[in-house]
Amino acid sequence: MRRKRYFRKAVLADTVVTYLVLVVVCFLFFFPVLWLVLASFSNTGSIYDLAGFFPSSFSLNGYKTLFTDTRMYDYPNWLKNTLFVSVFSSLIGTTLVILTAYTISRFQFSGRKLLMKSTLVLSMFPSFMGMTAVYLLMVNFGLINQLWSLVLIYSAGAPMGYLVQKGYFDTISGSIYEAARLDGANNFKVFLRITLPLSKPMLVYTALTQFAWPWSDFILPNLLLKNKDLWTVAVGLMHLDETEFTRFAAGAIFIAVPIVILYFALSGFLVTGISAGADKG
Amino acid sequence: MRKQKRYQAAALALALAAALSGCGSSGGTSADSGQSANGAGQGTAQGSGNGETVVLHVLENDTAKSVGYFQELLDAFNAEYADQGIQAVDANMDEFTNLAENGPYGYGPDVLYQANDKLMTYAEDKHILALDIESFDCYECTPQAAWDAFRMTIDGQTYYCGVPVNIQEPMLFYREDRMPQDWQTEWDDDQNGVPDFFENWNDLYAYSKYLRDTDPSPGKDSQYGFMASLNNLYLASPFMLSHGAYIFGEKDGVLDTEDIGFAAGDAANGLSALRQFAALMNEGCIDDTITLNRYEKLADGSYFCTVSTPDTRSLFMDRLAGKYREEGLSEEEADAKAEENLKMIELPAKMPADGDLSRDSAQMSDGDWVNTIVMGGVNGYGVSSYTQHRQESIEFVNFATKYDMIKKRVDMLGIAPTRSDVAEVSGDTAARIFTSLSEGRIYLMPSVKAVDQIWTPSQTVMGDVAKDPFREKAGETPKYKDEQDMKNALETINRNIYDAIHTLAK
Repeated sequence: MRRKRYFRKAVLADTVVTYLVLVVVCFLFFFPVLWLVLASFSNTGSIYDLAGFFPSSFSLNGYKTLFTDTRMYDYPNWLKNTLFVSVFSSLIGTTLVILTAYTISRFQFSGRKLLMKSTLVLSMFPSFMGMTAVYLLMVNFGLINQLWSLVLIYSAGAPMGYLVQKGYFDTISGSIYEAARLDGANNFKVFLRITLPLSKPMLVYTALTQFAWPWSDFILPNLLLKNKDLWTVAVGLMHLDETEFTRFAAGAIFIAVPIVILYFALSGFLVTGISAGADKG
Repeated sequence: MRKQKRYQAAALALALAAALSGCGSSGGTSADSGQSANGAGQGTAQGSGNGETVVLHVLENDTAKSVGYFQELLDAFNAEYADQGIQAVDANMDEFTNLAENGPYGYGPDVLYQANDKLMTYAEDKHILALDIESFDCYECTPQAAWDAFRMTIDGQTYYCGVPVNIQEPMLFYREDRMPQDWQTEWDDDQNGVPDFFENWNDLYAYSKYLRDTDPSPGKDSQYGFMASLNNLYLASPFMLSHGAYIFGEKDGVLDTEDIGFAAGDAANGLSALRQFAALMNEGCIDDTITLNRYEKLADGSYFCTVSTPDTRSLFMDRLAGKYREEGLSEEEADAKAEENLKMIELPAKMPADGDLSRDSAQMSDGDWVNTIVMGGVNGYGVSSYTQHRQESIEFVNFATKYDMIKKRVDMLGIAPTRSDVAEVSGDTAARIFTSLSEGRIYLMPSVKAVDQIWTPSQTVMGDVAKDPFREKAGETPKYKDEQDMKNALETINRNIYDAIHTLAK
């Protein structure tokens, strides 16, 4: 009886401590976000008009000027450019990743192991290592100041991260493919009619990750886009004047909204995709 | 089956080609506009010569754009040169875009407006064209000191690589409506109608101390006098330059970057004064905090006065007008009141020779003072070496530096022009700054690439000296107790700059 009571107390203490730790961790992560959200509603626009942590007065001016005062900082245009790059990178990148992963997963060909090892090693290097080379290549191809150049680079680099998708395709039973082949389907049909319908979670996961990278990237657009009209949101926000903090905060919050909505809307697919892809490496 | 594969391969190749066809160049840069111009700019400013319009890409500063001056300049130029087939457009790049990085690849502007140190750094690496300055409309009415900011000597030959537009120097900003009510009786000993604290540094110190001592807030953090980022060499330069310090010496009429003079003369006294003033500020003076919050803090009255450059006047104005709007004034009333109350004047002209700011100015004789010397710069236009339209670019610079455009620039931006004829009719402040430049009270930033190396070493040491009073307040041992410590600090700046230029860079 005493032991039972002891265990109950231990469980209770464990629960309380766990929740306390979780609350503290949540607060640590949530507080900077809350601070930025409130700063985006600051009336004065300055980071130095804070009463303690938070602005002394609030208004929607930051968001209003973000979309109306476009003479110096054309946020709607930056948003349009970002959307263009992200959507096309996502479409092309997803196609390439899925094709790569499917090929590596389903087909045996000479050099396959070497290719897998090479891509694994290459993907370990941070992408900014090759920035100077990328810049010179883009200059020589006449692709500076082109949104398509970003799409090209993001899409071309995407297949390097095919391992999660390959892991997912590995889980699809080979007998399904054999049955399809016996029914006369060729490779393309098998991929289109059998693999893709079975891979919806993985497609969504891949498309989302391919969308999120260009959506928030700064280094590459800053390197390749010299013309202000072509800037993406990340580049534009970084070039805001030091006195424009509220506009910066509003811009940073607003850019996060679509991606948050997408993640929430597709979270079911996302969780399935991640866990399924993690079954095999 | 094989046929089908071929079709698939062909379709894929077509799709790839279609995607890549959208990747052609349309950047709108000096190089590609050159391609369309077919040999323009070979000694004539008559457009492309084949009916095509020559497009000049001009890089201006953001303030000129935000107040609308740049658009007026472009419109005026384009109207004037429409029949000659020349059109100027905004280069539409970041105002600090790197010409050395983008120019050689054809993505830089044709004409750029920059500070003299920046422009001459480019010039030293041949990214900027040398100009025949005597052919410019502004030549006669621009003082030699301003031209010298863009002078470069190579193998005994002198070249000029920029055309001056305006003078930049640290200025004192304050709110007229925050002046003490009794300044005429209590703070104007010589009864000349100018408060003593705007005439000499000792009285500015005294008034700042008075404000700190009478700060009504419990934390004693709501009321400051003079505030500046004391680690900022450009803004805090008067403390050293006024006492005999210099940046680079001269050898045979050429800047000698081996002769670094931060410790020259009585600069140690100036550094003592800087330390003394830091005690009346908050810890924001040891880094960039005050530089960033000065607009807000001057507007809300926390700072009585602060230091900044003339081109930031519109930022002070915006913030002050915003404060008045918060107090309930209409937009028009707020703007008018801000215009009326925001004042921009030169820094106090007299600094104590011994560096002791606490001495009573009334007890000091003329020999106890030294003239305040500030670090300044000259902003101007340069022409990129990579332009395909040299003559047209020069024509644009000539047009932009004529009387009418400079006058308009002064009226809209409140800058201090280098043209004497415009300075004469542009009010007291512009005229005074112009006179200061002509009389040598503005020490121009050296126009050599090595000047890039002076900022970090000086910033580190000046910030450390400014931190000393806060060490004392925290019960720690101060690092800079006497004149010798100050001299050592200045020698450290000299040594670190020398190493950065001549040792580490090799």
